[in-house]
Amino acid sequence: MNWTVKLFKSYIFRRAIRAFITVLIVVTITFFIVRLMPGNPIEIYIGQLMSQYGMTFQEAKNAAAALFSLDLDAPLFSQYLDYMKNLFRGDLGRSFVSQGVKVVELIASYLPWTLFSVGISILLSFTIGITLGIVIAYKRGGLLDQIISSISTVLTSIPNYLLGIILLILLGVQLQLIPVSSMRGTVSPGIKAGFTWEFISDVFKHAALPILTYVLSTVGGWILSMRGSTLNTLGEDFVTVAKARGLPERRITFTYVGRNAILPLFTSLTMQIGFMMGGSALVEFIFVYKGVGWALWSSIGQRDYPVMQGVFLIITIAVIVANFLADLLYGKLDPRIKAGGTE
Amino acid sequence: MRKVVFIVLAVMVLLSASAVLASEFHGAWPYLPPPNGHFNTYVTNSILGGSMYHDLIEQPMGMYYWATGTWEPLLATSWELDKENSEFVVKLREGVKFNDGSELTAQDIVDTFYIGYLMHWAVWRFIDKVEAVDKYTVKFHIAKPAPKIVLERYIIRERVRAHSVYGEYAKKIIDLLAEGKTRDSEEMKALRVEFEKFRPKTIVGAGPYMIDPNSITEAQLTLVKFPGYWDVKSLKIDKVVVYNGETPVVTPLVMSKEVDYATHGFPPATEMQFKRLGARILRPPIYSGPAIYFNDDIYPFNLKEVRQAIAYAINKDENAYVSLGESAKRCEYMAGFSDNLVPLWLSEETRSKLNSYKYDPKKAEEILKSLGFHRDKDGVWVTDKGQRMEYELSVPAEYADWTAAAQNAADQLTKFGIKVSVRGVTYSQHPTEVRQGRFQLAIRDWGAGNPHPHFAFYTDLVSYNYLSGFGPGQNFPLTQKTKAFGMVDLNDLVTRSGEGWNEEEQKAAVEKLAIAFNELLPIVPLWERYGNNPAWDGVRVTNWPADDDPIYKNSPYADNFVTLMLMKGILEPAK
Repeated sequence: MNWTVKLFKSYIFRRAIRAFITVLIVVTITFFIVRLMPGNPIEIYIGQLMSQYGMTFQEAKNAAAALFSLDLDAPLFSQYLDYMKNLFRGDLGRSFVSQGVKVVELIASYLPWTLFSVGISILLSFTIGITLGIVIAYKRGGLLDQIISSISTVLTSIPNYLLGIILLILLGVQLQLIPVSSMRGTVSPGIKAGFTWEFISDVFKHAALPILTYVLSTVGGWILSMRGSTLNTLGEDFVTVAKARGLPERRITFTYVGRNAILPLFTSLTMQIGFMMGGSALVEFIFVYKGVGWALWSSIGQRDYPVMQGVFLIITIAVIVANFLADLLYGKLDPRIKAGGTE
Repeated sequence: MRKVVFIVLAVMVLLSASAVLASEFHGAWPYLPPPNGHFNTYVTNSILGGSMYHDLIEQPMGMYYWATGTWEPLLATSWELDKENSEFVVKLREGVKFNDGSELTAQDIVDTFYIGYLMHWAVWRFIDKVEAVDKYTVKFHIAKPAPKIVLERYIIRERVRAHSVYGEYAKKIIDLLAEGKTRDSEEMKALRVEFEKFRPKTIVGAGPYMIDPNSITEAQLTLVKFPGYWDVKSLKIDKVVVYNGETPVVTPLVMSKEVDYATHGFPPATEMQFKRLGARILRPPIYSGPAIYFNDDIYPFNLKEVRQAIAYAINKDENAYVSLGESAKRCEYMAGFSDNLVPLWLSEETRSKLNSYKYDPKKAEEILKSLGFHRDKDGVWVTDKGQRMEYELSVPAEYADWTAAAQNAADQLTKFGIKVSVRGVTYSQHPTEVRQGRFQLAIRDWGAGNPHPHFAFYTDLVSYNYLSGFGPGQNFPLTQKTKAFGMVDLNDLVTRSGEGWNEEEQKAAVEKLAIAFNELLPIVPLWERYGNNPAWDGVRVTNWPADDDPIYKNSPYADNFVTLMLMKGILEPAK
């Protein structure tokens, strides 16, 4: 068998092709869905000019026509072909509303903050979640189990933006434990970016509230899932056998129970990592945090198609890549599953 | 040696003390940070562009006191309308510096307005030329006569841009015009595309404060006192910190006393919380509010009697209170423009002719019955053509006060027998939906933040009507038969109310428009909005004037009183 046949038959190659096709399909669907939304940037801009500057429709239309180089009257398919052509060249276009600003440049300025805040949140939330999940599974029916399970259920049912507002009002206004104004945004005015304690501590200070919000809104889900998964695992034969063999409890907990119970949560974790790229529009809005979600929020309001498409593209690629990696890593984590064999 | 150490220490203590004592004012306004936000103040998404804080950086030639109808001269010291020669001549203040060190001259004004030409500024409907007569005198040639106040609003109220920043572009425009290339030429269009991408490094202005570009984050920015400002001795506040954000984001900042003043539209429950915490609520008139717009293509909205019945069927006091508490007031005159301006424009005799459409469901019922309408079994009205009166009322979903007004109006009308359901449409899309006629009933704005009623009537009758050019809109015919005057051409009256030199003729047109509007009710104004601006006294600043001070008659979105108070040194640092 020569190497090309081997390559085509390999699991990784086939998964990569499938991932690529999925990206193409999603990009195509996004392109058309965005344009199916009522209104377009030119109409909105014309409306703004009429309302804010008292222009007549004709004046506003002429002003908009000069400003927007895009031809929205061109057949949709030809607009799509242009978009795809540019996409393959790595050109996501330029913002319609902030004239001249490249979408790549925009996303590059927003993405690191989302990756930082949501990344840390997922890490914290997952770690706390699985730890507490195992603990309460072992203490099933006890007071600790009841308290943590109830709190988890409540936290899971509150939307993250509501939690954010509650935190702000409670900690900032009612109890005055945090300085609301100086914790907004991603960094304090005048602080220079660099590998300095001043900058790093400032960044953490500003990310604290979004991180706390994300952690509180997701940790309950991890705790409850881990609890359920651990309880299932505890009933497995291999755990009974391990106990019968007289293995130390600590070893059974971590090597036998923990490792097996965590496996079903792994897919959710990779999915969350994928969605992390999109941030959370509402949480970032509430804390005035300059992340991708915030960029998406403002671009939707202004019907800034290129920015919207750019953000959706990043989210899509991230989710698909995360899925792809999950598939690959799953086999490594659980030797019972052989990736090649499952296909 | 000891002495030196002592002096150094003393200087350090003094410096740190002065740093601590630097007086600050904290405000709030939404803006987009870079790279979306920028400093080209002619273009969309410019940072603080068009806001009350913009006036502090690129100061205008003058600002207006709405209560007295007088001007506060700023970069201009005087101006004159020469009707015989069709000229508007402005004298500039001498010895004024921009914050980049350049001197204010007539050329700055010429450049400001020629770039405005490229950007389709409305003032160019009335002027066709701007020229520097001498270093401090500018002459605007009037191509189409207009009331003095209209010209003043367009010229004197304009923020002055610096030649040192925009001069190159202004020259290109003037050169193109000299070659006969107008705004619609390809060359001018190309120049505009280029100009839209122009990004100055900062905002250069002749105002009392300058933006500190290093202070800009997505959360806040700082304006620092410009030491070379022409009236620097009047300034009592050293720094103005502006927090970024819309209402939900700014609310916790006001509650924690981090913001001294905000113009955002706060819901009544939030306002109550502010009051409980000890904030003052300032209620300046906005000179506009929400109104019900009708799609006249849908029968029976084309009948004035039906619109009148709807006006009677809604308890507008209740609607106002539910929507915005004390900051919304039912329109007493229903004249199509602000009750606050009515005494200045309408005679007592005219005012006595205006119907205030007070809540009277019996009267509404009588009107509908007189048209041959009847109630269905379930109480819903049925027209003489057999159609049940069931409609949808669209509203910009993000505007909390308008949404509350829509919901309350829908509930009241449904109770009366006109079944109305509310549909929220995103705020940026809603005006387009209405202008394109894709609605049955809609909530849009009436009136305008301008002291001349022409602008209010333009909003009421043209902005969302077929004449907007965007689509059929409400499709309300502007030639109508009235009881008072027989046939009237409303569009002609709107035009005449805002054109020409003769102010008496304009007043006559406004009187006629008010009476016709009151009878025809092309739209039903629900209430007039007043601000519910929270202000903290004694936290960082103090000396806010009393609630009845005429300065609070200034619209916060047009000639903001806090901007004037900062410029004039009325607001002082709290001890």
